[in-house]
Amino acid sequence: MSETNTISTTDSPANTTRMPPVIVETRGLKKTYFGKVDVPVLFGIDIKIRAEEFVAVIGQSGSGKSTLLNILGALDTPTDGTVLINGVDISTLEDDQLAALRSDEVGFIFQFHYLLDEFTCLENTLMPLTIRNGDVTGKERERIIGILERVGLGDQVNKRPEEMSGGQNQRCAIVRALANVPKIVLADEPTGNLDSRSGEEVFQLMREMNRESGVAFVMITHDDRLAQAADRILLIEDGLVHEISKEEHRRRLTRW
Amino acid sequence: MNALFKAIVPRRLRFETQVALRHLSFGGGQTLLTVSAVAAGVIIVIFITSLIFGLQDRLTELLTDAIPHVTITVEEPEPKGLSSVPGVAEGPASSRIEQQAPQLKFIDNWPQVVQTVRDVPNVRAVAPVVNGQAFVSKGANPVGVSVVGADPELQDVITPVTKDLIAGRYLGLASDEIVIDAELAKDLNVSTGERILVTSGTGAADSFTIAGIYSRGQGRGSAYVTLRTGQSLFGYGTSVNGIYVKLIDIYDADSVADRIMALLPYEAKSWTREFPQFLSSLQVQTASAYLISGFSLVASGFAIAAVLIVSVLQKSKQIGILKSMGARRRQIQLVFILEGLGVALVGSTVGAILGTGVVILLSQFQQPITRVGQTPEQLFPVRILPMYIGLAMLAAIISTVVAAVLPARRAAKMNPVDVMR
Repeated sequence: MSETNTISTTDSPANTTRMPPVIVETRGLKKTYFGKVDVPVLFGIDIKIRAEEFVAVIGQSGSGKSTLLNILGALDTPTDGTVLINGVDISTLEDDQLAALRSDEVGFIFQFHYLLDEFTCLENTLMPLTIRNGDVTGKERERIIGILERVGLGDQVNKRPEEMSGGQNQRCAIVRALANVPKIVLADEPTGNLDSRSGEEVFQLMREMNRESGVAFVMITHDDRLAQAADRILLIEDGLVHEISKEEHRRRLTRW
Repeated sequence: MNALFKAIVPRRLRFETQVALRHLSFGGGQTLLTVSAVAAGVIIVIFITSLIFGLQDRLTELLTDAIPHVTITVEEPEPKGLSSVPGVAEGPASSRIEQQAPQLKFIDNWPQVVQTVRDVPNVRAVAPVVNGQAFVSKGANPVGVSVVGADPELQDVITPVTKDLIAGRYLGLASDEIVIDAELAKDLNVSTGERILVTSGTGAADSFTIAGIYSRGQGRGSAYVTLRTGQSLFGYGTSVNGIYVKLIDIYDADSVADRIMALLPYEAKSWTREFPQFLSSLQVQTASAYLISGFSLVASGFAIAAVLIVSVLQKSKQIGILKSMGARRRQIQLVFILEGLGVALVGSTVGAILGTGVVILLSQFQQPITRVGQTPEQLFPVRILPMYIGLAMLAAIISTVVAAVLPARRAAKMNPVDVMR
């Protein structure tokens, strides 16, 4: 545990009382992939993600960014250490409880939109609700259509993914991630597969959703401009997490 | 459509049903392939069962149509050893068992017997008869024939003659008239209206006018006279030597025979006990029909499992994303089982319709007419058996759903982190 590093939040003690609640917290999180050769990826990570935050995660390819994100979203389990999602230790949960946790608390956005080809844009965005409740109420449907209109997909609701552009599909995926009103949205290079203009649009959309609804965002990105636009930047290096200031990030950019 | 869906599918199955239905409707060639595999299995089962059971019905009909289902006769006394005779002192004894010489077996109280047998359930017709062996001659060369003396109206129900007549009549037979088989008529070179001489085993002889000639296409058949004529020809007076029984359900012959024996002091023989080899050959056919059906269903089950496994692999990313959205293992498993169920329902319905169509088509073919007086018959003696169509559908549905379980479990176990990398 000697290598474990702790990142204190940037908030000063003076405004502790107004600090938003912690949504996800890891303590001494380690992850090793066991196989013919065991591959240790994360060596002991302590982070806290609070409501309303927009956190960028940067690092070299293969540094363990996606692994961390999957564990934060209860898609994967740590080899050691504790992960608390909304105060619940996920290591104590059964498979179905993990699924329920993902359904209620977490939204995912991936590099590829992963929309279901057989369903329309609207049906895809309603899918998390359908999975959870078996059905969608008229009110929920209206709310989702409202968000779709808000992200500029009002005239695309009945189109299927193959009939929409990459940027439109990714916006649809963002609405889907928000459908169940999660506490946190985990985005794994959401703009990585888009041209720079669409990427910018998608990012702005996530930022707006974050500001409007207060849902926390953790976004893995290779785009340094986007990282600069986040609230905080976490750098994963050699299996450890370092919180770096934006100035530090800029300095490193010139060095890289 | 949406309202119908909500009316049919319970809320907790709507997600699974919706995804399964979309998979199927967007599945294109894959869906078509699996549906065809199920349909083919059902078609084969319907075809095989209707052909084999139809053939069995035909054979059974051919056999049982021309014979009494139960024959009542006087019991042949079994020769006994001395030791089994009551009243004989125990001790060393030797017996020589000799077969009794044939005797006339009289059923004197036949009107009561007929009455009693008529009241037994499942009995369709009862006819008292006198039968025996005789020689028939026209001029020289007497020919041996079995003669049945019975009331034509009653007898015609037991061993139909009228429907096989190629000349003359049987009903309304007079006491000096006889109906003979076409083979015999050919051997004697006689036709209706001519007179022939009949000499019975007891030596009595009489001359008869040929009233009718029939052909069943089953070799030489009996000659038919009236009951009274039979009685006098064979020396039975007012008695008979047998009572023929025709049943409504031919497969109930054993129990009817047992019941008659319990009621009356005579021997009752069912057709099934008289032709055990026939029954056992039917059983072998039945077993092979089931075996072929089973194999074809298993084969279509494997085909379905293979296609579904491929579809699960193709959809692994989708399964991953559904799991990341909170879908549980049970839900994912159910999606693929419901997919199998959908394939099974559509496939077995299509199979049932096509299979029945094939059977109906086959039933239209007629046998070529090869002999005089032959009534046109089906070339393929197929039967449409609703029970077997239902069973084929049920078996196909079960085997398809079972085949879907393996791919479904595989889908449920998929780790989203692995499949979305």
